[in-house]
Amino acid sequence: MIVRFEYFAPKSLDEVLRLLDEYGPDACLLAGGTDLLLKIRAGAVTPTAVIAIKAVKGLDLISFDTTKGLFIGATALLSDFAGHPAVTKHYPALRDAALATANVQVRNMGTVIGNLCNASPCADNAPTLIAMGGTAVVESRNGGRCVPLEDFFKGPGQSVIGPGEIVTSVTVPVPPKGSGASYLSLSQRSRVDMSAVGAGVFVRLESSRIAQASIVMGSVGPVPMRASKAEAILAGKRPSAALFARAGEAAAKESKPISDVRASASYRRQAVGVLVERALGEAAARAKGD
Amino acid sequence: MAAFDIVGKGVPRTDARAKATGSATYTDDIKLPGMLHGRLLRSPVAHARILNIDTSRAKALPGVKSVITGADIPPVRYGNWRLFPNLQDEYALARDKVRFIGDEVAAVAAVDRDTAEEALGLISVEYEELPAVFDVDAAMRRGAPLVHDEVEGNVSLDRKIRYGDVESAFKEADYVRKDTFTVQAVSHAYLEPCSSVAQCDQDGRITLWTSTQVPYIVQCLLASTLKMRENDIRVIKPTVGGGFGGKMELRPWEFCAAFMARSTGKPVKFTLTRREELATGRRRHPMKLISKVGFKKDGTLLAKDLKILLDGGAYNAMGPTATFLCGNFGAMLYRYPAYRFLGLHVYTNKPPASAMRGFGAPQSLFASETQMNLAAEELGIDPIDLRLKNAQVPGDEIPDVATISSCGFRECLENVAVMSDWKKKRKSKKKGYGVGIGCYSFISGGVFNWFNTQYAFSTAEVRAFADGTVHLLTMASDIGQGSDTVLKQILAEELGLAMQDIRLTTADTAMTPQADLGTWGSRVTLMAGNAVIDAARQIKEQLFGAVSARFNLNVIYDLECKGGRVQAVGKPERGVSFGEAVAMVQKTNRGKALVVRGSYTPRRKGLVTPAFSFGAQVAEVQVDQRTGLVDVKNMWTAHDCGTVINSKSVEGQLEGSLHMGLGYALSEQLVMDGGVTVNDTFLDYKIPTALDMPHGVSACVPTYEPEGPMGAKEAGEGMVSPTAPAIADAVHRATGYRCMDLPITPEKILSGMKNKG
Amino acid sequence: MKHVIELKVNGDSYQVAVDPWRTLNEVLREDLNLTGTKLGCGTGDCGACTVLLDGRTVSSCLTLAVEAAGKDIRTVEGLAPSGEELHPIQEAFIEEGAIQCGFCTAGMELSAKYLLDRNPAPTEREIRASMSGNLCRCTGYDKIVAAVDAAARKMK
Ligand SMILES: Cc1cc2nc3c(=O)[nH]c(=O)nc-3n(C[C@H](O)[C@H](O)[C@H](O)COP(=O)(O)OP(=O)(O)OC[C@H]3O[C@@H](n4cnc5c(N)ncnc54)[C@H](O)[C@@H]3O)c2cc1C
Ligand code: FES
Ligand code: FES
Repeated sequence: MIVRFEYFAPKSLDEVLRLLDEYGPDACLLAGGTDLLLKIRAGAVTPTAVIAIKAVKGLDLISFDTTKGLFIGATALLSDFAGHPAVTKHYPALRDAALATANVQVRNMGTVIGNLCNASPCADNAPTLIAMGGTAVVESRNGGRCVPLEDFFKGPGQSVIGPGEIVTSVTVPVPPKGSGASYLSLSQRSRVDMSAVGAGVFVRLESSRIAQASIVMGSVGPVPMRASKAEAILAGKRPSAALFARAGEAAAKESKPISDVRASASYRRQAVGVLVERALGEAAARAKGD
Repeated sequence: MAAFDIVGKGVPRTDARAKATGSATYTDDIKLPGMLHGRLLRSPVAHARILNIDTSRAKALPGVKSVITGADIPPVRYGNWRLFPNLQDEYALARDKVRFIGDEVAAVAAVDRDTAEEALGLISVEYEELPAVFDVDAAMRRGAPLVHDEVEGNVSLDRKIRYGDVESAFKEADYVRKDTFTVQAVSHAYLEPCSSVAQCDQDGRITLWTSTQVPYIVQCLLASTLKMRENDIRVIKPTVGGGFGGKMELRPWEFCAAFMARSTGKPVKFTLTRREELATGRRRHPMKLISKVGFKKDGTLLAKDLKILLDGGAYNAMGPTATFLCGNFGAMLYRYPAYRFLGLHVYTNKPPASAMRGFGAPQSLFASETQMNLAAEELGIDPIDLRLKNAQVPGDEIPDVATISSCGFRECLENVAVMSDWKKKRKSKKKGYGVGIGCYSFISGGVFNWFNTQYAFSTAEVRAFADGTVHLLTMASDIGQGSDTVLKQILAEELGLAMQDIRLTTADTAMTPQADLGTWGSRVTLMAGNAVIDAARQIKEQLFGAVSARFNLNVIYDLECKGGRVQAVGKPERGVSFGEAVAMVQKTNRGKALVVRGSYTPRRKGLVTPAFSFGAQVAEVQVDQRTGLVDVKNMWTAHDCGTVINSKSVEGQLEGSLHMGLGYALSEQLVMDGGVTVNDTFLDYKIPTALDMPHGVSACVPTYEPEGPMGAKEAGEGMVSPTAPAIADAVHRATGYRCMDLPITPEKILSGMKNKG
Repeated sequence: MKHVIELKVNGDSYQVAVDPWRTLNEVLREDLNLTGTKLGCGTGDCGACTVLLDGRTVSSCLTLAVEAAGKDIRTVEGLAPSGEELHPIQEAFIEEGAIQCGFCTAGMELSAKYLLDRNPAPTEREIRASMSGNLCRCTGYDKIVAAVDAAARKMK
């Protein structure tokens, strides 16, 4: 495909919003471009204006605050995110997910938020961010809104973001005491790869019982998908291998995978159950502080 | 065995510096003044009649300099099997019919790539779609659509081998088993996409720079398709980024570049995209293999009956050779008193399969080695012992093929058992753990002259200079495997010179001597190496004569070239420097330059190969029994490649083979949906990364191949074959799942385990 | 509309007018004749096109040239200190036999530099993980890993 577009690299968010407004549905935001350029070349999107946002000052901020939690700016790179001391310390599962995304070069270009906005069902960073209660801050010329990541995805390649809008940041609450999270993914080649299945889980223990559990599965449905039945099985129980196995089975049953070149539906279903089970084990261990 | 100064050492490659600094020139790096960019229009349908092509809109696009279709070019069919013209079944651009998704229909040359690309979209082709066939069974069914109207039943070639009395051997056998195996299509996935640049001079002669393994074959076939004389075509091979068998034919873009350079008067470049490479490019043959073997109770092999259906895709390409060779590989490792083989090369409406590293061996050996492991299990014999019992040994004759001269197969088996601690590991009952074995035998170049060349198989010219240097010219093609270095080493060794004393010119059909059949079938070291030695000996003859006269040596003295000198053996003071000796010869001949040509053509070596290499490999795996993911921990290999000329090169070849073998076993597969190749990026066509590689240990079993240069033979091609059967065997030990259809995917393992209960 | 941009490559400054959709890879190879950077896939999967952008490895096939304007771009041509001397990484690649067809080499060397700039003494596992965005079809990676290890020791 030959592609032709105009290119803008505004230095301020206001300018970004103005351009978004001006070009409407014909504009595409370009963060790292690792998804966008391939989509443009494949003819999947045909923007007349590409608005690069990496030149906007301060948009790459990653910060942590013990009350507000984690702040991820729109152009924060996957590599900077994975290497950030606060992420490593407080959000090891988010770091693992970022490191499970693509390869070194792509992580040096691509952004965490681009991964979400691309809205692929296999986006490696989505499940854990959803499970940990992340929220997207969305802005447009007409104002802003906050969207819980749980409600962010609408279908393959589709999110709640409409023309004229930009996600300026994602925030994640401070992990409560006694909580732990984990992300595990699987591909036929080692982990530097688009995953065939993934599972991000978050658990919080209170007096040795599971007070809260969220399980989000990747690549087994049109959007990263919550395993509510599996979560219900866990509620109020003492963590144990047998319990996690049951939850894994339930999650597998809930999943709605398709068959494609990366794996068959039945394999995805079986594998996601195993990943959920194992991720629960790791999250529980982290919650206990071991 | 002789002691060598340069041969056998891990001499750094002569081209490494240029490659390390980014200054080595690959075809796509070439930019000529006024150069146009070409793109190909490919068929979007698997099988159709072309009713009409309208190129007028494309031609009208500003910047477009030429648009051609099958109607514009000479109607000449080509193919590597020149010996049998009926097997030459391709046109550079489709005429009348397209036969696979990707079949080249038209070509555009324009001032830049974007314009060429845009012009492709302006060509309209009217197709009448025809029913298509996508696998061998469908293609061979009665009444199946014909891929080539003139080939009944879609079988383009059959190959039979028969010796011994197969029927009575099976009757005699205590144990007979019959299995069916299937193997997938995989891509060469050389990292450098194909690229060609053509230029036409004012006399109408063509120069083509192209990423190829076979400049001479390209020269000849380009001449015939352009209806020009061979000598009016010059093919130059720049640095090539890997080939593995995928660059050993004339390709449509080479033709189109040359044709359009001639018609526009401007240089034309074509470079393929990775998508084109994966979706439409040559590949390794998928095969269906039906094999029946018979043994005595004690494990002695009695007979084999092997039938192989090769899924050739839409054209023959190098399929006929693969059909011949997979039959030979079916009975090369072990002694089969009776053997029957039937190979059928079947057309389907898919991208053509062709030569790929191993050339029929990976498929054939996956079946026969797996079957050996199955038999060992049922006979209650250790698989290594079963192999030792039947292994070829030096002097064995393979009927109708050749007598094996050097052969270290038994030693390979014994070595690999020790290296891997086989006996102990094989007994391990650890969950999800297993070791398994696979072996290989391979050829060192082919003998059968399918190209019908009128020249020697390999030729080398050596020019010697009074300044103590020499210039070696050969058409042998280094495509990354390191033959330039190896040939220099052989010449340096023979002439007692240092590597820096040799200037090398290779693979330029107008400069380097006719001919060399190219780089494939592991022929270069043996054949071009022998040609170099032949040339070196002729040089030495003359130098020795001059030195002998100068020192008035008794005729019983032997002379040698050593350390830059030409001297009497044992009496170095009776000698002169290499340069002085050359000057003396030159004077004697009244100014005539000292130039010789050596050559090699295998003779009295049967029709298959002049030499055989062997090896055995053990794989150790740990399988995640819940996800089916296979972690290959270790691979131990013992191999026999004769004299090692460059230890670094041989190791590198083995490690590279392991990579390709691992991919073939576990992760690589061109997934087809009818005629569509679904995975056309490296994201989904999964070649192993640095993280996927197992730890590998290898050992050479020393042998000396009398037919080879300084005792050398094949290394690194055959080795691609044992990996899949070895891993499959280890996975079987680990999980109970026995793979009969490659690749071994986690899904197959899990469902195989489930079926076992 | 073409953008006139300044590209700083290996310390040299070039002014070029480029269409915004052209990649850094195309501009380096076609406009600046810096052909040491290769194109193996064009989709970010193989690493043959790797260059350093402000010290980080990126795939030049997925980087728009306009995005690289004003940044410090390093390609394989800028690795060696001079025509005669080589960078220790290049020396190690040559000595260890890490180069066969050479098509992956430029990308491999730059990935090695990126790693060693950050981690002067990586473990084998770290080397493998860090180089896993660079595919090689010839070597099986063993000698490349050995070369990075050797380079790390040379650079100490
Ligand atoms: C070789 C390779 C391997 C990959 N492997 C993986 C993998 O293993 N796992 C995985 O999950 N992904 C993978 N990816 C996909 C991709 O790299 C990631 O999704 C990456 O995080 C995308 O980030 P980006 O900044 O490059 O996004 P871009 O391509 O810049 O943008 C992606 C989409 O989001 C939109 N967008 C970007 N930023 C915003 C914003 N702030 N507000 C609103 N819309 C926005 C863009 O318009 C575009 O539609 C891979 C890609 C490649 C090339
Ligand atoms: S060419 Fe850029 S990653 Fe392959
Ligand atoms: S050396 Fe050929 S791809 Fe790496």
